[in-house]
Amino acid sequence: VSGLDQLQYLSWLLYLVVFVAVLVRTIRRPTPAHMDMTLFFGATAVVIVVNTLTLRLHVAEQTWFAADLVGATAMTLGYLLLRLVRDFSDVPTWLVRVVEVGLAAAVIAIVFAPKPLPPMVAMLLVTYLVLVIAYDTWSFMRQARRSRGVTRRRMQAAAAGSLFLTLTLVNAGIKVATPSVSDMLDQLGAALGLLSGVCYFIGFAPPTWLRRAWQEPELRNFLSLAATLPRLPDTRAIVCELERAAADALGAPSASIAVWDANARMLQIYVRPPETTMLAANADPGRAVQAVDLPIEDGLWRFDPSSRPVTGRAFLEQRANLVTDAARVDPGNAVAFDQYGARAVLSAPITAGDKRLGVLAIYAPRAPVFANSDLELVQLLADQAAVILESRALIDEASDVRAREEATRLKEDFLSSAAHDLKTPLTGLVTQAQVLQRRAKRNPEAPVDQAGVERLLQQSLRMRDLVLELLDVSRLEQGGLLGERRPVEVAQVARRTIKRNPTWQRVKVTADASQPAVAALDVVRFEQVLTNLIENALKYSPHDAPVHVRVWNEANEVLLSVEDRGIGIPFDDQPLVFDRFHRARNVDDRRFAGMGLGLYIARGIVEQHDGRMWVDSTPGQGSTFFVALPALEPDHTRPDEWSAADEGRLASA
Amino acid sequence: VPDAPILVVDDDPTILATVSEALDLEGFPVVTATNGAEALIVVERSTPSLVLLDMRMPVLDGWGFMRVVRERGFDLTVVVMTAAADARRWAREIGAQDVLAKPFELDELVNAVARFRSV
Repeated sequence: VSGLDQLQYLSWLLYLVVFVAVLVRTIRRPTPAHMDMTLFFGATAVVIVVNTLTLRLHVAEQTWFAADLVGATAMTLGYLLLRLVRDFSDVPTWLVRVVEVGLAAAVIAIVFAPKPLPPMVAMLLVTYLVLVIAYDTWSFMRQARRSRGVTRRRMQAAAAGSLFLTLTLVNAGIKVATPSVSDMLDQLGAALGLLSGVCYFIGFAPPTWLRRAWQEPELRNFLSLAATLPRLPDTRAIVCELERAAADALGAPSASIAVWDANARMLQIYVRPPETTMLAANADPGRAVQAVDLPIEDGLWRFDPSSRPVTGRAFLEQRANLVTDAARVDPGNAVAFDQYGARAVLSAPITAGDKRLGVLAIYAPRAPVFANSDLELVQLLADQAAVILESRALIDEASDVRAREEATRLKEDFLSSAAHDLKTPLTGLVTQAQVLQRRAKRNPEAPVDQAGVERLLQQSLRMRDLVLELLDVSRLEQGGLLGERRPVEVAQVARRTIKRNPTWQRVKVTADASQPAVAALDVVRFEQVLTNLIENALKYSPHDAPVHVRVWNEANEVLLSVEDRGIGIPFDDQPLVFDRFHRARNVDDRRFAGMGLGLYIARGIVEQHDGRMWVDSTPGQGSTFFVALPALEPDHTRPDEWSAADEGRLASA
Repeated sequence: VPDAPILVVDDDPTILATVSEALDLEGFPVVTATNGAEALIVVERSTPSLVLLDMRMPVLDGWGFMRVVRERGFDLTVVVMTAAADARRWAREIGAQDVLAKPFELDELVNAVARFRSV
């Protein structure tokens, strides 16, 4: 027996072994994909056995029957391989029909044409077979490109097997045409046949150890996520990462994690726009993916586990399961499964101890992507997801506690600050009043202590302002600071406010005269905002520096700015200036009296007007505070009407 | 030194004026300072009979003032005036003799001053 023969026998033996292996598997679990594998390797087995009998052992060598059988069976290989392609991806139905018709014609030609076959017919037959197998090769390659992980490797192996099979056939054709180099071509053919067999074997029936080895990098990646994922900002981000990693680990295009909401007794899935999901990207480009009509709220799709037999069952039974045809198990949602290209679904419960957290589902367009052993793997992933989600829950719980503590601390700070700020003027008030009283008692004839009375008044006014500030804050936090709102011209309100304060002579107002800026305001409260901004501007800038108020329309908003050339606000403090009790670091606490509530109240008033307030400042150069309010059409305002009524309110305020 | 003045230290000018006036009315000589640094200048010049000390002040606060006083070995009688909730603890920590918690009344102020001045 020569080396060439050994190679030939080895190749044949391999095909026979694979045939037996897939046959056994099909008998155990007769799925369509397993049957197609059995048919394909069965056909190769027939070709090999009959060839061996006739060519090597010279049994029934001269019968027409043997030659026709080998020829016809060989012709079926392309078609059977096409069926396998269809088990893993989409093949247009018309193409299947064309190949079937071609196969029928080829078999008829082999059986009825005179022997030996006319070269023209033989040529046509070989061309047909090469074309079909070439298409199969291309399909497997395409599918490999679209898949990931273990599925990608399997499809690559199948594509390689088909490529080698095509080459084997081309080689056989050349051998017939040029018998002179027959020996070398024989060797090449045997080697190609063997390679093709090996590739098919690992592509279609990979042993479990090989699957595991292929899955290992993705699995390792998934397991390593446990350390980093719980630190992501929110559960949604964690779930999205887990879904991607789980799909990768199984070589499936997509996965979903439904999180159990124990209060609502619902499972909820974070829905991403369809164009971002792998499944939609993987769907047949020829078929438009429409938005499936799911009841989605706030990006969450919520469902009762018992209403969804495909993913819900694994959760309810707390056991991993594989659904090979989702549309059949859950006909009510067949359209959704079809549109998302999810036919086979592998699900496993995510459970930490006895705490049910949710369910992990892995989707694939075709069942053969998964193997039975993947049930254990998906359960392993689900268990890992449980650990990650549970860690996250613990982190959330801890930060909740911290947030509550922080809120309590802020409240205590507020109270002790408020108490401190009230006690100081109160001391002056009480002591000064008693000094005046004592002075009057001891010497009733003495002139009134004018300086003492003045101090008493100053402390009373300071006390009044602090109390009003505190009352405003408490009303602001209850949400009811605003009185009646009316359409007014904002620039006009600004001018009146400034005119009322004789000491504000360095404040200038600029407004766009051509287009009055009108907004619906509680004029009294709005004046409070303006007063606060202007007082701050004056307080924090040199005595001769101008303060500029501007009013203009922009988009659908009325904008007002108060600009000063003062000390400015350090960049770090700028986001905080509107906080309760915050005062920038460059502000000397004692030189600028006040509780630090002014801007907090001002922003509250603006926000209750559905407006916004912000600051733009350069330390050392000045600050500009901005107020934006929803604009009204100018003809809403009737200045005569509001002025009189508001004067009354202002006077009483 | 019974005739030595009382030093009142407070950054709030109104409080400073009111307390000065009250003590003056009772016949106590008074000097004032608006922060710890100013108070130190006064102390260096002549030892006051009593210091009424506010705690939170700019430039040099009550704690800083007391630290320097200790370092330089001045022997002072100090009564803390503060609106803070933990006034008593602060007073103990800095080694003050007594505390006047704001808001205090005129009688409390006068009594405290009289008590330490007679010692």
